[in-house]
Amino acid sequence: MSTLIETIRAFEYWGEIGDGTVDTLIMTGLSLTFTVLVGLPVGVALFLTGPSQRSERPVSARLQDWTYKAVSLLVNILRSLPFLILLILMIPTTRWVVGTSLGVAGSIPPLVVAAAPFFARLVENLLREVDRGVFEAFRAMGATTRQTVLWAMLPETFPGLVAAITVTAIALIGYSAMSGVIGGGGLGDLAVRYGYQRFNVPVMVITVAILIVLVQLVQALGDRWVARLSHQR
Amino acid sequence: MIETRGVGKTYYTPTAEFPALQGVDIQVGAGEVFGIIGRSGAGKSTLLRTLNLLERPTTGSVLIEGVDVTSLDGEALRRLRQRIGIIFQHFNLLKSRTVHENVRLPLRVSGQLDRTAQDHRVAELLDLVGLTSNARKFPHQLSGGERQRVGIARALANRPQILLCDEATSALDPQTTQSILELLLEINRKLNLTIVLITHGMDVIRTVADRVAILDHGRVVETGTVVEVFLNPRHEVTRTLLAQSGVESDTAGALEPDDSPVVRLTYHGAGAEQPLLSRLSRESGLDFTILQASVGHLKTIPYGRFTIRVPRSARERLPGMLQVAQQIGIRHEILR
Repeated sequence: MSTLIETIRAFEYWGEIGDGTVDTLIMTGLSLTFTVLVGLPVGVALFLTGPSQRSERPVSARLQDWTYKAVSLLVNILRSLPFLILLILMIPTTRWVVGTSLGVAGSIPPLVVAAAPFFARLVENLLREVDRGVFEAFRAMGATTRQTVLWAMLPETFPGLVAAITVTAIALIGYSAMSGVIGGGGLGDLAVRYGYQRFNVPVMVITVAILIVLVQLVQALGDRWVARLSHQR
Repeated sequence: MIETRGVGKTYYTPTAEFPALQGVDIQVGAGEVFGIIGRSGAGKSTLLRTLNLLERPTTGSVLIEGVDVTSLDGEALRRLRQRIGIIFQHFNLLKSRTVHENVRLPLRVSGQLDRTAQDHRVAELLDLVGLTSNARKFPHQLSGGERQRVGIARALANRPQILLCDEATSALDPQTTQSILELLLEINRKLNLTIVLITHGMDVIRTVADRVAILDHGRVVETGTVVEVFLNPRHEVTRTLLAQSGVESDTAGALEPDDSPVVRLTYHGAGAEQPLLSRLSRESGLDFTILQASVGHLKTIPYGRFTIRVPRSARERLPGMLQVAQQIGIRHEILR
């Protein structure tokens, strides 16, 4: 028993693993925030211009249609790029936006670009599930689009949004680990540098274990929040 | 109050066009309860939705208080819609909001009251529909009838002069339907509200409507006061609808095949409280058999409607009897 504790104490990478975990949390947290800030409006725009929400006027209906097709195409293109390729393609843009393509800061723009379209689609699908009658009631009340979005659409889908944010957060934890390949920092970086390049099995195993625990935690927290929200209605 | 002039609505698909409404003219007076009835697919819902422009007519125009609103847009259209309440078959409440919040929404939308005044108005509305104790509940905790009451309170929030009812009782059981209809009548009287309702049930029409339009394949085939239409239906579709609700039934065809005269007698209004039928028999000195009978009220108007058979031997005394009938206020129609 005491030998086990000594072995754990003697393990020289705890400091780096701790830093890596914090970095991963920061990357995930920040990129999740920006993903929601970008993806939510895009998802709402996709829904509002989408096939289920025909405008009352033929001219703006055509404009709507084209907007939807354009945004939808962009979203699909971004979603079809493998994240690793996106990381590399985005290096110049990332440098331009945050000044570096390395470390925690350098991995956030590609993470957001990868996750926001995904999140936007989730939002669009959630909004399509909302009872159409609710929108009709709002139109009949003389509500503006803004009022309909803020007072009907978002509150009605809130539990679904929380679940979508949970799914996106978990995807981001995975992506952020991948950004280790191009020096992105965090747990993925550790796993690549020690586990892959130096065959340090213990570091890799511990890194993977921490990632598993993180994902479990995020999922459990998300589920609990959704359950509470669905309970009060 | 409301008038449609030649309203038509055609839906276009890439391969075909479907005329949902064709040349519909209706006039609804202020404070009136106007019913629109028809089979499913007749265009009732489309017609109702053109009145607050949820559906824009492809031809013709809609006039509200004499003003053509057909081409209103943007802010003007939103203001118009705030003056017209609507309730739905499936209530269309926000399930994430309490009863109080649901009813407050139109007030937030119109933005004319401050928060305190809004809460006060909501309390007033919930009192009107009898839901004061349910203010903090969520829609899923309420029964169907209670949800429709929330819908009514919400529709009335901005003090509209017009209330549209889109199959408002079709999802409710008969007893609840009755209580919702009574509530509608009550607010119709209290607030002098003009109500336009669509339904596929004649019972709804006879309970609440003053006048009725019968819609078939996108056209108005018959219109008039409920009494006129119920007691003297002229169009085939009207007869079918009446037969389905048990008001009218064609017993004449099922008679024994002799040639004894069969007459339909109808009366309504104040005189209907009198024992008219026995008076008719006594004064004409004629006995007859009642084949089919229906008595009751159309909204508040009492009526009676009988199909009678006169013995063959008394055929020559029939004209005399019909004359007596006319004198005491009974209308007749010779069926055979």
